Amino acid sequence: MKKKIAVYKLTFFIVLLVALVTALYLGAYDFNHSVFEIVSTYFKTKTHTADSFVLIELRIPRILMAILTGAALSITGTSLQGLFKNPLASPDLIGITSGAVLFAALTIVFGSAVMHFLPPFLSYTLLSIMAFLGALLTMWFVYKMATSNGKTHILILLLSGVAISALSGAVTGFLTYISTEEELRNLTFWSLGSLAGSNWWKVCLVFVVVSIGSFRLLKKGKTLNALMLGEKEAAHLGFDIEKTKREIIIISSLMVGCVVAFNGTIGFIGLVVPYILRFVFNSNYNILLPLSMILGAVILLIADTISRTIVIPAELPIGILTAIMGAPVFISILINYKRKLK
Amino acid sequence: MIQIHDLNFRVKDRFLLKTIDIEIKKGELIAIVGPNGAGKSTFLSCLGSEIPYQAKQFSLKNKDINSYKKDEIPLHRAKFSQHQSAEINLKNDEIVLMGRYPYFKNDADISDKEIVQNWMRKTETQHLIDREYEQLSGGEKQRLHLARVFTQLENNVENKLLLLDEPLNNLDVAHQFKTLHLIKEFTNKNNTALVVLHDLNIASQFADRLILLNKGMIELFDEPTKVLTQERISRVYQYPCILHQHPVTNQPIILFG
Repeated sequence: MKKKIAVYKLTFFIVLLVALVTALYLGAYDFNHSVFEIVSTYFKTKTHTADSFVLIELRIPRILMAILTGAALSITGTSLQGLFKNPLASPDLIGITSGAVLFAALTIVFGSAVMHFLPPFLSYTLLSIMAFLGALLTMWFVYKMATSNGKTHILILLLSGVAISALSGAVTGFLTYISTEEELRNLTFWSLGSLAGSNWWKVCLVFVVVSIGSFRLLKKGKTLNALMLGEKEAAHLGFDIEKTKREIIIISSLMVGCVVAFNGTIGFIGLVVPYILRFVFNSNYNILLPLSMILGAVILLIADTISRTIVIPAELPIGILTAIMGAPVFISILINYKRKLK
Repeated sequence: MIQIHDLNFRVKDRFLLKTIDIEIKKGELIAIVGPNGAGKSTFLSCLGSEIPYQAKQFSLKNKDINSYKKDEIPLHRAKFSQHQSAEINLKNDEIVLMGRYPYFKNDADISDKEIVQNWMRKTETQHLIDREYEQLSGGEKQRLHLARVFTQLENNVENKLLLLDEPLNNLDVAHQFKTLHLIKEFTNKNNTALVVLHDLNIASQFADRLILLNKGMIELFDEPTKVLTQERISRVYQYPCILHQHPVTNQPIILFG
């Protein structure tokens, strides 16, 4: 078993590496030199050429953002599924993403006066904190709505998500309509996501949040497994269930909020990745958590590379690609449910 | 081993358990019996710290039960619940391995895996290893969780406490007796077990002492021969019965009707 996991990890890493190198070279702009040459000349001269600007300021941050975002959305999806004991619980389906989008949009409209005067790193931090609050608030609401006596009603959970998405969609749409802010005028960004706006500041911020968050979530494997037995049984195995719940809710909100603030809604990743892994490893969260991070990074990086190369010189919104993967998975989980109901 | 003084549990104004005083020695196998709604499971839940009871005293091994740390108590106490999760998407040996979770951080030791194998053999669940959990029968699931609970208490701690809520449900006769022998084996090593049982005759044959609960109170806590009298049992269960003697063990046998 251990060997099998190691093999999977290694394979995913190799695929990630290959995808990364490929992604460096693919794009609307073709480099005149090799990536290595461009970077080394830049570090010698300290001035940008067209090549080095595209590579260092645009493409590399974007690739890193794709990796971080994919990892973050997948590990939070996996953790939430463990917490709610349901493979349909993913940040976008239960409305957390929408909550984050709503708060991010509100911040851009009403906070624009403040944000213009802040240095980029602080204004990004402010934006992600607000998105985090939006995510947390929705999460709390959805959790309270759907859970009674330690049992989660998946129907209410998903419908709460629908309700919040509708509300968020309406408000965000309205804000986009009245706003003069450039950042907000692009409604597609919020509904279908895009990694095009990535820069080093954003990457740094997301990196910090994702590493701290994942570090904590990766330790929850045993607890999430034990939760499958029931909350009381898990407590008899020595796990502090209430604390675990709080921790997962807060960390997931933080990670989702931060990622959504910069990349909009990239749906279904948190649903698809654990779904694939469950075919091989069942629901063993000890294995699912780390592997979902790597696989999520791989899938989102590939999706983003496709989205920016398939219709050159334009870009396909990345949410279209993830939805194409996600919707069939969603349907197949539903079919599975239907079978169990019989 | 266990001292409880004036334990009460109520929901709103209704007492589900009232003024429970009890002292249990180490190495005892104690059966909790009584009619439906007498408070058997509730009492076991109190012993497992699952519900908010009030008590003047509740100590385990001369130490207040609440002074045990959350990650320490699983080495001293385990509980087998009446209702097992219907859906666990794991391999069956991974489910049993959960009993070892208090003992390792990320990866199970070889010793952990050996303990799992050992208890799966003892509970006769080894052959189920490749079957899907959801496809198992009620009794098979039950034995699997029994194995999990036993692996949890496989350690060097002295005088452990095992709580079992109707462990014999769904088991065929042979497995009922095999399970009771496993519990007996456990208490023979100076550990204590409290078992909720419905079958008075099985309780009479295996238990050192019986707790007869009635309407949330202890009717009598004593040896089977003292507790199982015709008058008392027919009064508590509100059904006529007659008393016999087991031809081999000489323990009392109750025949209802």
